[in-house]
Amino acid sequence: MLVSWDWLKQYVALDMDREELENRLAMSGLNHEGSKPVGSDIAIDLEVTSNRPDCLGHIGVAREIAVLYNQTLTLPNPQPAANGPDVNTDFSVSITAPELCPRYTARIIRGVTIKDSPTWMQDQLRTVFSPINRDWKPINNVADITNYVLMEAGQPLHAFDLDKLDGGKIIVRAAEQGESFAAIDHREYELQAEMCVIADESKPIAIAGVMGGSETEVSEQTVDVLIESADFTAMSIRATSRALNLHSPSSYRFERALDPAGIDWASQRCCELILEHCGGELDEGVIEAGKSTWKAEPVVLRLSQIERILGIQINAEEVRSILIALGNAESTSTADSITVTPPSWRRDLARECDLLEEIARIHGYEKIPEDVGVPMAASFRSDEDRVAEVIRTTLTANGFDESLTGSVVPLAWTDQFNPWVTTAPLRTISPMLQGADALRTSLTPSLLEVRRINQSLANPTVELFETAKIYLPQAEGLPQEQKTVGLTSSGDFYHLKGVIESLLAKLKITTPLSVADAKEEFDGLLDSQQRCTLLLGKEPLGFLGQVSKLGLKSFSLKTTAMVAELKIDLLVNLATLIPQHQDLSAFPAISRDLNVVLQESVRWDQLQATIEQAAGEALEVVGYQETYRAPDQDGSNTKRVLFNVKFRRADATMTGEEADAIRDTIVQAIAANHDGKLLGV
Amino acid sequence: MALQDFLNQLDELGTAAESAFGEATDAEALEAARVIFLGAKKGRLKSVQQQMGSIERDDKPTAGKAFNATKGRIEAAFEAAQQRSNNTDSDSAASSQFDASLPGTAFRCGNVHPITQTIEELKDIMGRLGFSIVDGPEIEDDWHNFVALNIPDDHPARDPLENFYLATADTISGTKNPVGLLLRSQTSTVQIRVMEKTAPPIRIISLGRVYRPDTADATHYPMFHQIEGLMIDTDVSMADLKSVLRLFATSYLGDDVTIRFRPSFFPFTEPSVEADYYWNGQWIEFGGAGMVDPNVLKAVGYDPEEVTGFAFGLGVERLCMRRHGVTDIREFYKNDIRFLAQF
Repeated sequence: MLVSWDWLKQYVALDMDREELENRLAMSGLNHEGSKPVGSDIAIDLEVTSNRPDCLGHIGVAREIAVLYNQTLTLPNPQPAANGPDVNTDFSVSITAPELCPRYTARIIRGVTIKDSPTWMQDQLRTVFSPINRDWKPINNVADITNYVLMEAGQPLHAFDLDKLDGGKIIVRAAEQGESFAAIDHREYELQAEMCVIADESKPIAIAGVMGGSETEVSEQTVDVLIESADFTAMSIRATSRALNLHSPSSYRFERALDPAGIDWASQRCCELILEHCGGELDEGVIEAGKSTWKAEPVVLRLSQIERILGIQINAEEVRSILIALGNAESTSTADSITVTPPSWRRDLARECDLLEEIARIHGYEKIPEDVGVPMAASFRSDEDRVAEVIRTTLTANGFDESLTGSVVPLAWTDQFNPWVTTAPLRTISPMLQGADALRTSLTPSLLEVRRINQSLANPTVELFETAKIYLPQAEGLPQEQKTVGLTSSGDFYHLKGVIESLLAKLKITTPLSVADAKEEFDGLLDSQQRCTLLLGKEPLGFLGQVSKLGLKSFSLKTTAMVAELKIDLLVNLATLIPQHQDLSAFPAISRDLNVVLQESVRWDQLQATIEQAAGEALEVVGYQETYRAPDQDGSNTKRVLFNVKFRRADATMTGEEADAIRDTIVQAIAANHDGKLLGV
Repeated sequence: MALQDFLNQLDELGTAAESAFGEATDAEALEAARVIFLGAKKGRLKSVQQQMGSIERDDKPTAGKAFNATKGRIEAAFEAAQQRSNNTDSDSAASSQFDASLPGTAFRCGNVHPITQTIEELKDIMGRLGFSIVDGPEIEDDWHNFVALNIPDDHPARDPLENFYLATADTISGTKNPVGLLLRSQTSTVQIRVMEKTAPPIRIISLGRVYRPDTADATHYPMFHQIEGLMIDTDVSMADLKSVLRLFATSYLGDDVTIRFRPSFFPFTEPSVEADYYWNGQWIEFGGAGMVDPNVLKAVGYDPEEVTGFAFGLGVERLCMRRHGVTDIREFYKNDIRFLAQF
């Protein structure tokens, strides 16, 4: 809201320093955005919050200044002389869409002389309009006066050329779908059924509260004018002005709850100024249709609430004088409370807490201390938070950078790769970023996109992880928001698997990690061989795999990439966040290397299970070392697996004979379970 | 053999051994020298000892004493050399080629995203002030994102153009989303969820991703992070709010700061303020705050006559940008490795 320094002077003595005033206004609710000279005047830009439409006119701002500086507010008291016939005799207004327009009033002035408005008025209007519209020009006396009253009182008005209105009536109605309208900005608008229009008998003459029509606007030929002052439904005005992309000072104000008493005040003020500056004769009375339903209700302020909510004491006399200066009418009061009826221009004051805010901002927020002793309280760190930290520290220690990517992705990505569910993704009505309207069901495509970006920047090492939610639609109700950690690496399958294993180790997860066959859902991005489902115990943890050639191509990636996703909730459930001490054996370990020949079909996890079972308690660790193939000696479809077993006893040093005996048991078990044999035996 | 010759021989041997051990720069050379001088069978000390037999009987005690002294001397020299050798493993050739100024063998460490770093620091500070961290869904319903937060049906904040509503079967065929869901536009939704199932007192921080349809530019992004604090108890006032924000800002900036309130308007707080902090000679916008609106307290089943509370909210990106001098918010979501490595 731009206000003119000269204009404000009409209502309140501006004998204070302007910059000091700007600062006090900012500290009491009208944030100062800047000031700039316009001619000899100053335009002051004040930010008005949506609950304060009263400050969308100079009078409202002047009232704030008067309250802050304890000054007298001098307001016009419009009493235009009505010497014409009864206005209701040959003109009528009807509202057929009361849900769009609760109240409409009209006054008629006949025999006006259209010319330029007075220079002082043009200057003040220029101060408030030219900074936002460089092409702004005064129009004519009648149009300028309606704008002047708009900027004075905050109530939008419109003047119609009465001779251009057909049928002697105004109908406030819903627009017809597709109805065409020529506005005063000389553009044609196609109206929609839920918009409100002002119409005469034959045509729309204004888009209610947004813009008038070119056909009925006041021109040099105008003799008789009809002055509209009305109330339109905020939501309807907002929707209309959005739909037409047509924003005017009028629509801006109608989008907020205006002063119901201001409708008639502004109408009379406008008529008074027209009679003064344009001549003519005012018809007796006002045409009224509909009525304002709002009525001020008394609000009780308990003085005890001031300290309870604001944390400071303010004496009752100051409280009373602030409330009254703001226009509240005091009714009954007791020693403990003050009851006031708020003024019609402050519809935002309806509750005790609203009055508390008024007292606080006028008394001054700077008087609230910032060093009171807030009692101490315990705070708790969730398991999720602890696990998230272990994930971050472990993965960064493994050389992975954390990335943050958007939750909403192109539908093509979720179509291509939807590893967790078979349902289609959720969609947003409007895209978040270009072409992105699908709530992601996997972090992998986002991470591959980050790989692509870094590839284009010639960044050599791209090891990334992200912890974020993915959004898995459910058959019914809210979708499941699954916290997931996604990883991508330039290393090979076993490198990324090793990183995952080190993460599980850091989380002290004792439930064994195992792999299972990949799901078809992985086809979209993962290689058909090097991929698997990951399990912790029997619970699915996620997946791991190499991006397929097609997958690389779809993200324009030139080098191989490994990806994985893990379900964080499962990590939280299985993590040991408070590890317990275990007694350590004081005796040395003894190890044996084994090299066994096996059929290709025997998997390491099967072999490991056999070894563990055969070795029993003394086995401390079994370490895989290498696989190689010697078909000439061993026959086709065989492999040699080298591994190491380490034994340790808790109660004594294990002897070489004991270790050999366990090794022999292992070898026998391998022979029995897998038809494998120890090499060299 | 004349005593004096024997003594001279011992003396030479001692000196030779000392210099040989002294010059041995690695374990191998030292071992070779040891064999020469102290070798059990053919060592020079051994062969000198063998000459003891030809010394006159009367001179033998003197010779023996001198021999023992020399033996001690040589052994001491060896031990000293051995000690030295244990402290240096490199050979002499390597030591002349050794260049301590060459770069180390790098081990790559990853970086935590600057937004996460900021969030973790804020969480840490608020944790010390007694606020626990809570989490909630990003996809919200009308009740938690609007109604319970005292945002009425006709409020502009509900406008479809101000929110990412989820598509339903009406808007996109094939989708089966429940009607009225949206990506949360604020983390206050979590406060509602916590209050609905927890009795006061409450001291929580909710934080995470929020979504608003802003066109991406240097200072806007349609997805960003918010951190919101909520404190509810029997007598929480605006003085508590101001004091907590001052402690928060002071802890974050590591310097004593002062807090200023400017009146503002939010549906879920009354009174509502913008909080600024004074730092480095200027007032800097901190975030929105206020006393929890009685309608919000009622919506979650609290009695506003029994409890009061404050809430505040800050944009994480803005704090992070100011702290680290980042000038374009889009950098956070581009994830250029070089950018990430700066923090």
